[in-house]
Amino acid sequence: MRRVFRILGGPRRIRREVDDELAFHLEMRTRRLMETGMTRDAAEREALRQFGDVDTVRQGCVTMDEQRERASSRANLFAEARQDVAYSLRSLARNAGFAAVVVIALAAGIGASTAIFTLIDAVLLRTLPVAHPEQLVVIGNPARVGGASHGGVRTDLLSYPLYRDVRERNHVFRDVFATGRTGRIDARIDETGGELEHPSGRFVSGNYFSVLGVGPAHGRLFDGGEDQTTGASPVAVISDAYWSRRFRRDPSAVGRTIVVDGSRLTIIGVARTGFTGEIVGIPTDIWIPVTMQDVLRPNDKMLTDRTADWLIVVGRLAPGATLAQARQEIPELIERAVVAGSPGTIAQTFLSSAPRYYVQSGATGVSRLRLTFQAPLLTLMAGVVLLLCIVCANVATLLLARSIARGREMAVRLTLGANRGRLVRQLLTESAVLAALGATAGSCVAWWGSRGLLALSGGAQGSLDLGIDLRVLGFTVGASVGAVLLFGLAPALRAARVDLAATMRAGATAVSRGGLGARGQRAPLGRLLIVSQVALSVVLLSGAAMLVRSLRNVRNVDVGLDREHLIVADLDITARGYRWERTSTLATTLRDRLSALPGVRAVAFSENGVFSGNESSTTIEMPGFAPRSSDDTVVAYDQVSAGYTTAIGGRLVGGRELGPRDEGALARTVVVNEAFANFYFPNGRAVGKYFHISDSLTIQIAGVVSDVRDHSLTEPPPRRVYFPFVHHDAQLGTPVTFVVEVRTAGDPADLVQAVRRTVAAVDPDLPIDAINPLTTLMQDSIRAERLVAQLAAAFGVLALLLAAIGLYGVMSYATVRRTGEIGLRVALGARQSDVLRLVVREAMVLVVAGVAIGLPLAFASSRLLRTQLHGVSPTDAPSMTAAAVVLIVSGLAATLLPAVRASRVSPTEALRAE
Amino acid sequence: MLDRDGGLLRGTLDVLILKSLSWGPRHGYAVAEWIRAITDGELLVEEGPLYTALHRLEKNALLTSEWGYSDNNRRAKYYELSRAGRQELRAEVASWERYARAVGKALGAATPVPA
Repeated sequence: MRRVFRILGGPRRIRREVDDELAFHLEMRTRRLMETGMTRDAAEREALRQFGDVDTVRQGCVTMDEQRERASSRANLFAEARQDVAYSLRSLARNAGFAAVVVIALAAGIGASTAIFTLIDAVLLRTLPVAHPEQLVVIGNPARVGGASHGGVRTDLLSYPLYRDVRERNHVFRDVFATGRTGRIDARIDETGGELEHPSGRFVSGNYFSVLGVGPAHGRLFDGGEDQTTGASPVAVISDAYWSRRFRRDPSAVGRTIVVDGSRLTIIGVARTGFTGEIVGIPTDIWIPVTMQDVLRPNDKMLTDRTADWLIVVGRLAPGATLAQARQEIPELIERAVVAGSPGTIAQTFLSSAPRYYVQSGATGVSRLRLTFQAPLLTLMAGVVLLLCIVCANVATLLLARSIARGREMAVRLTLGANRGRLVRQLLTESAVLAALGATAGSCVAWWGSRGLLALSGGAQGSLDLGIDLRVLGFTVGASVGAVLLFGLAPALRAARVDLAATMRAGATAVSRGGLGARGQRAPLGRLLIVSQVALSVVLLSGAAMLVRSLRNVRNVDVGLDREHLIVADLDITARGYRWERTSTLATTLRDRLSALPGVRAVAFSENGVFSGNESSTTIEMPGFAPRSSDDTVVAYDQVSAGYTTAIGGRLVGGRELGPRDEGALARTVVVNEAFANFYFPNGRAVGKYFHISDSLTIQIAGVVSDVRDHSLTEPPPRRVYFPFVHHDAQLGTPVTFVVEVRTAGDPADLVQAVRRTVAAVDPDLPIDAINPLTTLMQDSIRAERLVAQLAAAFGVLALLLAAIGLYGVMSYATVRRTGEIGLRVALGARQSDVLRLVVREAMVLVVAGVAIGLPLAFASSRLLRTQLHGVSPTDAPSMTAAAVVLIVSGLAATLLPAVRASRVSPTEALRAE
Repeated sequence: MLDRDGGLLRGTLDVLILKSLSWGPRHGYAVAEWIRAITDGELLVEEGPLYTALHRLEKNALLTSEWGYSDNNRRAKYYELSRAGRQELRAEVASWERYARAVGKALGAATPVPA
């Protein structure tokens, strides 16, 4: 105790002690001098003279003592902290189950929320790693990046001539660059044989790097001169990542030749480290000047065609200009440019289609991922925030229950002379150790969790920058660690304030008064925590149940075709320069060869096909139909082979299907789907009727076929027109894709290789972009839905487990604490079943209260899920009921063990416990 | 043993204090008296610096201190060598003997050039 007193003494005590010491010396010296016969006065003077400068010495001593005390109190604190940590580890090891639950709960809460937010950050929020990204403005629909359209002027993607117009005539941008798809690149380095590579490429205008403000890591970048002359710049810039991957950062990569689809390009430089292009989710490996498009794609020249739409245009705002000004100016500019630059009919069609303009901030780049994953990610974020709340409540519950159960231990230690401050510090250390373990585990979960999520959502590793945002990790760790410390500290303070006499006299009951579970308690914090945990779990579980039911609906939706028996192969006919006649021959040959394969029931072709990601649409004019909006005139279309719909497993509803006689230059007959027929002819027959495309072309409906969900499992089938596949008509444009549908008798996976070999036998150089059973494509198309449903279910189960564990923990501690009371009841004649009922009733009150609060919450919040539910109402009764029942049953299960234990208490045991 | 300013050679007071405590705990006055007696009053011109030295040695953990009662029953601060203090004293004594031997040898030299 003396040590403690001295540490707490402070500077005043030091000064007093130094004074005492010096006074003692002077007194002794004075006496000694007086023994030699001096008077007291003279002796005192002489003593002081012999001593020297008292003040200086005193000050020196005081300074030295202060330094010593500071050092020793630091050392003391350190030693005590080490003791506390060791004590905490021992104490946690004794309660390994408790520690494990807390750490796992923290890891799950921190890890899941950080992982989800890391993905949200990467996909939705992070700005491009370029200078002043906030100045960038995107013109064009980011969802169509990588797309291309032919046959009309569009505004979701721009033609090259239109890009030139925008660049020259705008007043809001310092400069504007264009970026467009390359399609698949077949590349060889240095013309040496070796494997063909398929780096991901973009055609970009020569000012691309200067507008973005990106410099070279090595070599030089495009300087703008590339845009002067078409086909005169056989050069390429590669990304730093591709340089590392392919060339191991060899400086001599610059200057080497890369042969892209037969054309030789010289690599002139490497873009700055970390820059992977303007597209989020698809890192670009190689940039090629847009003026080389005609050379690299001789079968699909798009530089001069005003109706070839394929470019996303990105501008950097001039000083002082704003996005709002760009939104004002660009549509007007485009409209004027189209009218001035296009033939009258095309301009007319363009203006009458009431085009929608896409002008938006480009700070975060361009991404198709965003459209697909925005809603799912935000849903998951909501789920994960709920989970984090549940975790905090859970951890708090457990800490509270534990600290109350330790009330007696605290009282004993206080009685034995432990220091209150020290006791609080020790409990706090224990919480901190728990929190540190949880935070560490959580960070690990976050790291691999975000990568696992990317894989689940179908993204390649490395396609997104998944650096964990430290602010996010900081927030989640802060929230949960804060909960631990808060709820570790509050009971610690209370435990340290325990009324010693009362506690020792009355056993544990006095402590329990202020705590959990006991009847007539004053501070029902623990109960509140359990109730809120249950309520939040109801919300999470019912949401998860709805999403899972929705996913099942989507999977089992009637798609209107033979989904189990189709192979879809995507052939790149433009790469080989197939034109009309040759395409026709190819189609005939392929049909004959494929039909001859054993196990093949039917073969069909189409431009877009099913679940291939390609879609076409056009505007029509329907005589006698008054459109209420411009959308009413838009229909989707496909160009298909004879008997297409029945070949893929659909039905003919009326009229006839397309046959060989509908093909050819003069063909003017089409088939429409039921959605089309019902929309334009609600009360009449569609077969035999006429409509117009682009003013000039008159088309007759030969038949009506059943609706087919051929592009999406979640969207209703659009109005669709089927044109004959080999339909030589400029108005529809050139089919750039060629999709083969093979219907099999057995498992389509067995025939994939045979189909591949057959295509190779017909034309060995014809690239197959993709070949898959339809079921695979369908699964891929609902990745986002699957991701959300699976994760929501996982979160729900976790929430359920935590709620059950929390309840178990609270009831266990509560019953142990009440051993005395229960023993008394038994002694007074209560039966086992009475005790059982007593404990269970107490727990179930909490669970039922939680459910009662949770259901309206779930009811209110599930509206947020509306856009993601298919065939399930946001107030889905089965989901809500299931969540409630599951929680009540698990609550019962969690209570049973402590209840049974309590019911076995014998009066003698209860007495010993006192 | 005096440097030019008339004070003690640096460190000499420290080692004398350590030596004076090598027979057991003493208060500051007793240390002063011992040094006075043993050096005939040559070394300790002023007694004040002795206390600064005592507190410095305590800060450096060569000494520990405790309040106790003197022979005439007055409260006094007693100093005692710590383990580190004992080691320090041994080291200082050894180093002093080496130094003295070397200087003694030099002053007693008989030839102008070493053999």
